[in-house]
Amino acid sequence: MVVTFLMIGVVLAAFFAILAKRLLASTIWLAVLSALSAALFYVLGAPHVAVIELSVGAGLVTVLFVFAIAVSGGEDAGGPAPIPTVVAIVFGLGMMALLAWFILPIEAPEVIGEQMSFTQMLWEGRALDVMVQLAIIFSGVVSVLGLLGENVDAMPFARRKEGDA
Amino acid sequence: MERWLALSAILIPWLGAVIVWWAGDERPDAVHTIAAAIAMTAGAASLLLIPRVGDEVVFALDAGVFFGTFTFLLDGMGVFLAAVACVIGALAVIFSVDYMRGEHQLSRYYALILLFIGAMVGLSLTGSMLLLFFFWEITAFCSYALISFYNDDPKAVAGGLKALIMTQFGGIGLLIGALVVHRVVGSFQIAAFLGGAGSIAPDVLAMMAFGFLFAAAAKSAQVPFHTWLPGAMEAPTPISALIHAATMVNAGVYLLGRFYPAFEAVPGWKTAVVLVGVISASLAALMALVSNDLKRVLAYSTISQLGYMVYAVGVGSVFASQFHLLSHAVFKALLFLGAGAVIHIVGTRDMREMGGLSGKMPFIRNTFIIGSLALAGIPFLNGFWSKELILEAGLEGGAMWAYAIMLIGAGFTALYTFRMVWMVFYGECQTEKHVHDAPMFMGIALLVLALGTMTTWLLAGPFGDMLASSLPFHIMHIETTWNLVKTILSANATWLAMMVIAVGIACWLGRERLVPVVRACGFLKKAAEADFGFEALNRSVVGAVRWTADTLSVLQSGMLSWNVLGIVGGLILTLFILAWGV
Amino acid sequence: MSLDMLDLVALAVIGVFGAGIYGLLAVRNLFKMIVVLQILVKAALLALVTAGNRSGELVLAQSLALTVIVVDTVVAVVALALAVQVKHRTGSLDIQDLTRLKG
Repeated sequence: MVVTFLMIGVVLAAFFAILAKRLLASTIWLAVLSALSAALFYVLGAPHVAVIELSVGAGLVTVLFVFAIAVSGGEDAGGPAPIPTVVAIVFGLGMMALLAWFILPIEAPEVIGEQMSFTQMLWEGRALDVMVQLAIIFSGVVSVLGLLGENVDAMPFARRKEGDA
Repeated sequence: MERWLALSAILIPWLGAVIVWWAGDERPDAVHTIAAAIAMTAGAASLLLIPRVGDEVVFALDAGVFFGTFTFLLDGMGVFLAAVACVIGALAVIFSVDYMRGEHQLSRYYALILLFIGAMVGLSLTGSMLLLFFFWEITAFCSYALISFYNDDPKAVAGGLKALIMTQFGGIGLLIGALVVHRVVGSFQIAAFLGGAGSIAPDVLAMMAFGFLFAAAAKSAQVPFHTWLPGAMEAPTPISALIHAATMVNAGVYLLGRFYPAFEAVPGWKTAVVLVGVISASLAALMALVSNDLKRVLAYSTISQLGYMVYAVGVGSVFASQFHLLSHAVFKALLFLGAGAVIHIVGTRDMREMGGLSGKMPFIRNTFIIGSLALAGIPFLNGFWSKELILEAGLEGGAMWAYAIMLIGAGFTALYTFRMVWMVFYGECQTEKHVHDAPMFMGIALLVLALGTMTTWLLAGPFGDMLASSLPFHIMHIETTWNLVKTILSANATWLAMMVIAVGIACWLGRERLVPVVRACGFLKKAAEADFGFEALNRSVVGAVRWTADTLSVLQSGMLSWNVLGIVGGLILTLFILAWGV
Repeated sequence: MSLDMLDLVALAVIGVFGAGIYGLLAVRNLFKMIVVLQILVKAALLALVTAGNRSGELVLAQSLALTVIVVDTVVAVVALALAVQVKHRTGSLDIQDLTRLKG
């Protein structure tokens, strides 16, 4: 079935993204992961989020990654990790087991509330969220401008103090 | 309209902080101007709030089940503290234009001051205990950052860290109290807690009452948490005036006053409050008497006067404590700014190197003397009225021994105040430097505060009205200003206090004849200079915290993978405990 | 939407999350670490939408998911800017070489 295919695809894409030897390959697998999860969202009945996830995750973030990798000189991402692989695998499996214990089987009471439309819910029910999103976007823009500015010095105040002292 | 005024009183300073920080250090004149303009706008906004006092919620934002509703109310106590913070903040910023001329990193300085002012307004106007804690912590951070403003001076950094660690211990008491309230009453709203306090189990209520007392004592530098305030004098003087005299240290008294209706029935709480107030007032007065550093004398004096305010809450008169808070904020800010002007011009904080400055800086001398007379409780300045009100309330509502000690404390207050004024302005001139009178902006700030010192007592009646009409849970006896004046002037307590103060002044004037007495009390002098052992105690606490931090820094290997391993391990552990519990 | 299908999706969530945790510990390059962060957030989004589907509150779940996507994108952007600056200043993106926060 479609869902089985999507499910297997999502898990495989995640693993390949991590295990890839080259950074660009990793990014492409991330894009595949985004696309497959967008499809999964659509099948689960969340079309708005599916569209947003597809355009942002598979589009915007991928382009950003490629750009950043190109600007800093793409290179191989290999080499053994400082932590022994066994430990990492144990932690990974441990987390998976814990989560399985926690959330399976999926049970939730059917909530029949008033059915608002998506836009109505977003702007009225979650107004605080939207305001916080705006604040975060603003601070993100300020941070990036500060980080990538032309005359950014490592420690401007220290430099000025030394210059004066 | 109220909603926007209340919000703008918080948001305008915060916006100003961002603007000032963005203006950077390249344009000091622009930074000075913007900061002063924003501070004055905030002051005006807060003053506009005063006629709009009421007891309904003006702004509510639902933040979900876990955080409750973020509310802001415009009740008398909150608006009063907000107005004090904004107006004195504006005056301190105006003073800073001259005081900090030529200093580096002004944008950081002004941004932190504006951030502090906004947080202080938020603290006073909020009706949710969680938001109260949030703003409380922001003020603690600003205080630390501003004390350590000269961050290449190790004394300043040490002072800042000590202040931070000690006030944070108090903050824990506040957080635990807020969380317990939510658990027991079901809401973070202060009004809900005050209304439902009768139904809380007595031992839970007692735990909360003492937790809040803990937090208030740490924030308001009461014994045994008082040693951070003298150490905070390393901050630039306008900061000492604003944060450590007029606003942040008042937050503790404000906390006690606001939650008084809920806690007054807890057995032993009022006695504990009285005890804290009395001990702080008397010990700090003794320590002020032996100190030679001008700012330290003022710091000890602040601790002592806050002790009076705490004592007033303990004997049941929240109005007296808030009224003294108003008077003290004005005259103590005046004294600190005056001291700042003197220190800026003479170049030293040690009073033994000053003296004879009276003729050379007449304007500063006049305003400083007005502030000192108010501090000593001389009639017809605002300190007199509020201190008498407290002593009367103590006579009626509290224990006799406490009243007696506070009365004697008033005499000591007069003594150390006159000593301070004499050592700075009269006597032999010890300094060789060229001294001049106050520059313009400093003079403006000093003048406004001096006028305030002479007049704020006239607001007693309307102030009492405002408090009584907007605080549904507090029981207050308020009178018009004229009635208050008559009551105070005709009370026996007043004449008793006047006599004690006269004795205090006489002790200073006749000090040569008292030398044998002073020598006999030599051991007391040594004890006072050593802060009665508290300094050593607190230094060891701070030392223990820093030693723990240093030892644990071994775990900071700098390697991302190990940090992530720790985080993931902790996450798995927490989830496991959660899953098992469920 | 049968119970079985939702449990399948739950298994997918668990799988992706486990891959993310493994990646957090086993990855050495800074850019790849950012990829791993994105993977973890995708797993969370899947879990959110699954919960929404099961409880019928899809509209609320989508609003929350939108917030998560916006925040996650901003985080990715800032993290990438940081990584580029790290490469620019220290010349290396290897975690083992970036230990200036030691002690």
